[in-house]
Amino acid sequence: MADDSTGKGPGTTKLQFAPFCSALEAGFWHQLTQKKLNDYRLDESPKSIKGYYYNGDPVGLPTRLTLEFSAFEVDGPTPLRCCTATGILYNTNTLEAFRSIDKKALLDKEACEIWKEIQSGAALQNPSILNKFILLTFADLKKYHFYYWFCFPVLCFSEGIPIIQEPVSLNLKFSAKQISGLQEAYDNLCSTNNTTAVPYFLVKYSEEEVRVAPIHEWEAFFTDFKTVTVGVYDPCTLAQHPGWPLRNFLILIASKWGAQLDVVEVLCFRDRTLQGTRSVQHSIIFQVKLPDLSASTGCPKSVGWEKNQKGAMGPRSVNLSECMDPKRLAESSVDLNLKLMRWRLVPTLDLDKVVSTKCLLLGAGTLGCNVARTLMGWGVRHITFVDNAKISYSNPVRQPLYEFDDCLAGGKSKALAAVERLRKIFPGVNAEGFNMSIPMPGHPVNFSEVTLEQARRDVEQLEALISSHDVVFLLMDTRESRWLPTVLAASQRKLVVNAALGFDTFVVMRHGLKRPRGESAESSPSSSCTSASSSSIPGMPSLPGASLFSNIPGHRLGCYFCNDVVAPGDSTRDRTLDQQCTVSRPGLAMIAGALAVEMMVSILQHPEGGYAVASSSDDRMNEPPTSLGLVPHQIRGFLARFDNVLPASLAFDKCTACSPIVLDHYEREGFQFLSKVFNSSHSFLEDLTGLTLLHQETQAAESAGVRPQQDSSLTNKTLEKFLRLWESPTSVLPPCPSGAV
Amino acid sequence: MSADTALPAASCYLDEETFRLSCGLFLEHSHSLNDGWTWEMFSGSEKEGYMKKTVMVPCRLSSTPCQRRVVDDTDGLAEDEQLSDQDESAGELPGAEGQAVLRYEYHVLYSCSYQIPILYFRASTLEGRSLSLEEVWKNVHPNYQQRLRQGPWDTITQQEHPLLGQPFFMLHPCKTEEFMRPALETAHAKRMGVNYIVTWLSVVGPVVGLDVPLSYALAVGAPVPGTSASASAAASTAASAAASTSASAPD
Ligand SMILES: [Zn+2]
Repeated sequence: MADDSTGKGPGTTKLQFAPFCSALEAGFWHQLTQKKLNDYRLDESPKSIKGYYYNGDPVGLPTRLTLEFSAFEVDGPTPLRCCTATGILYNTNTLEAFRSIDKKALLDKEACEIWKEIQSGAALQNPSILNKFILLTFADLKKYHFYYWFCFPVLCFSEGIPIIQEPVSLNLKFSAKQISGLQEAYDNLCSTNNTTAVPYFLVKYSEEEVRVAPIHEWEAFFTDFKTVTVGVYDPCTLAQHPGWPLRNFLILIASKWGAQLDVVEVLCFRDRTLQGTRSVQHSIIFQVKLPDLSASTGCPKSVGWEKNQKGAMGPRSVNLSECMDPKRLAESSVDLNLKLMRWRLVPTLDLDKVVSTKCLLLGAGTLGCNVARTLMGWGVRHITFVDNAKISYSNPVRQPLYEFDDCLAGGKSKALAAVERLRKIFPGVNAEGFNMSIPMPGHPVNFSEVTLEQARRDVEQLEALISSHDVVFLLMDTRESRWLPTVLAASQRKLVVNAALGFDTFVVMRHGLKRPRGESAESSPSSSCTSASSSSIPGMPSLPGASLFSNIPGHRLGCYFCNDVVAPGDSTRDRTLDQQCTVSRPGLAMIAGALAVEMMVSILQHPEGGYAVASSSDDRMNEPPTSLGLVPHQIRGFLARFDNVLPASLAFDKCTACSPIVLDHYEREGFQFLSKVFNSSHSFLEDLTGLTLLHQETQAAESAGVRPQQDSSLTNKTLEKFLRLWESPTSVLPPCPSGAV
Repeated sequence: MSADTALPAASCYLDEETFRLSCGLFLEHSHSLNDGWTWEMFSGSEKEGYMKKTVMVPCRLSSTPCQRRVVDDTDGLAEDEQLSDQDESAGELPGAEGQAVLRYEYHVLYSCSYQIPILYFRASTLEGRSLSLEEVWKNVHPNYQQRLRQGPWDTITQQEHPLLGQPFFMLHPCKTEEFMRPALETAHAKRMGVNYIVTWLSVVGPVVGLDVPLSYALAVGAPVPGTSASASAAASTAASAAASTSASAPD
């Protein structure tokens, strides 16, 4: 270490000391927080604490005074081979108090205390008194910001301390025998004192032996008072400088024996173990001339406030929100746990794609609750609920975001209560709730200007919500309420994941994602697609289906309404169990909700996303298209058989929701078209799309002898129809993989 | 230790008693080396505790984790004129402040649910701010980064320390069996009593910058079944000798 304390004649350079560097363990701040919250509260009175220093550091480390969580247990054990420093904690209640407290006065008070102990002789008996510190803190527990300032008070010689003999490494002055003699003598002194480190001691050495003694034995130990050797347990690793603890010791010597002393030899005892080998030979030794303080009665000048990281005389501060703010902790834990999954099992998993996906959940009932929880499990942060229902007494047992209390006083709004609960589960979530209804076909909105205006606003709101999210989940309990978001999302080219429940059957599907506008010319359903779609009507001649129902690209996949031959909105024929999710087997919503999210995640992992070719049940044996496996179009589950199948079907050109004619009308006429749909009977859409004609054919076909439904509990008309399609020998849908038929 | 120790079939699992006895033997050797391992008792209970070692290392990143996030609101409270007379004549060696050092804390705990030891660690600045995993990674020497990228570094996760309740990183135990089984089977075949802690820590430690000198493998054996009295005496001697410790030299 180059500095200017070397290279001049004896007596002209002054001794310089390496100051302590404060070192705080995270545990100290945790403990201070606990103390502040539970014990101190608003009490600002000074508290006793303690720190310690070590002298076995390798070269290059700063001289530290360490405070750990045990700093508040003043009588607790001192770590091995460490010396204690006793401290006083001033924890202020405000930043203003921290700022305005008189630092000079605090320092002077402690310095005078030390001076008094020296004068009274108490410091001779208990020399650790010489190592004191002051810690000034302000804990901003709202932000987890901690402000602190350390002071290591030392008394000064006004003219400094002239060096007589420059510091040298001990092995240049002591023989190997003397060094091991010193080590042995020091160890004996420690064990006599029942400790593992002694801060100050006296040394006497000859060619033959080295002796050490506690400092209170000064008069008996030394015979020659003109030149004495003293030892200090030195935490510094610099070759030319002693550490801070020597300072007050020299003051003590000068005050007690300065009149007799000529030269003081200082042995800075350093004791380290490298690769299992202990050594003290790197200790340093030098001689100084001590000014005589024996006549002084007034307390000498003192210094000791620690500089901050910028080297300026000022406080330090640290922001611990990342390791103390429970919200931040929850976030980083959730992230790391997800990463663990990636690292362990799916190295190519693109988690960011999942985590950053903005999800709109239409419906906050059994399905919505389960979808939200699974999304949280995947680390999805942006979750928005839309629902107009209130929580009723039957809900909490099936809808895991609600509790009994939420049902009281008429019940809270589901959309808002769900958000509240998500934040409780994970404060890092970015959730929002909209208590609003979704206009439905066949449910007129034209009773009055007010209702019409309300419907217009609802549509606008829904359009805006769909536009600001990446994935739309259809999780409502009525079929017709899915119509509007299906149209809007198809028009906006947003990915739609749809889940619907029967009693013990469910469907989870992604809607076909229309090609971006402008690219769609050749993708509009061709005549072959039309025939393929119509062929899914029982009784129609079956086409060679394999090629038609496998490898369907995402943009040609159907939507929820594509398989239907009736338009939504016919409440007498089709509503069936609409409001009856509660008549599903209770596990069904969890299964379907979870599958809906897992399907979304798989879609997101596919390089083509929503345009990915639909995987079918047959693909279960093939190389999966994503790191997570298949990307099906639909998952149809039959709880009675504990079986799922993965059908895929083409978009139907007469679909009442996603066919070009419906989208065209919506895009050209907007709300005007939509309100016509709301206000009209189902025949409006059926006429528009050409379904009316087809429907007549269908009924004719059905009466021509499709076998009757077997499971009388199947009540959802849509699923029922699907099941019959699927089980029918004439069906062109994929066969069940393992003989479930 | 003894070569004729009759081990049961090599198992990757460890019961709690064997964990403590193995730690006791490990600590005995550590004390002879004076390399800083200690047994930390939890709230006075000798049974509930963990092995701990703290290592100070220079921060490799000049500015980033060591000095960043020091709140800059301190500007408002900067220089204190009262103290401006604390000048060079005061005998203070200038330029000592702001040396970038990181404190690595390693804790070896027993996991009842996995029935194996788990390594917890955290790295913090001298202000007491814990580093993020990313910052810890950045402080790994580039030569090692390459080597570690494939290793169990992958399995680092964040957990609350089961005894301290503070956030720590831990090496997830999921891969422990993978590397312990061959090591234990070899030892079993040779009828050597290996110390589980030594073998395990020699593998997982270096991943997060913790070296276990070879002398441990040579000097520390397995606790001898049936003589747990003397072994536990050794453990408790080591434990009581090492109430707690401070910084220690990295090897
Ligand atoms: Zn459709």
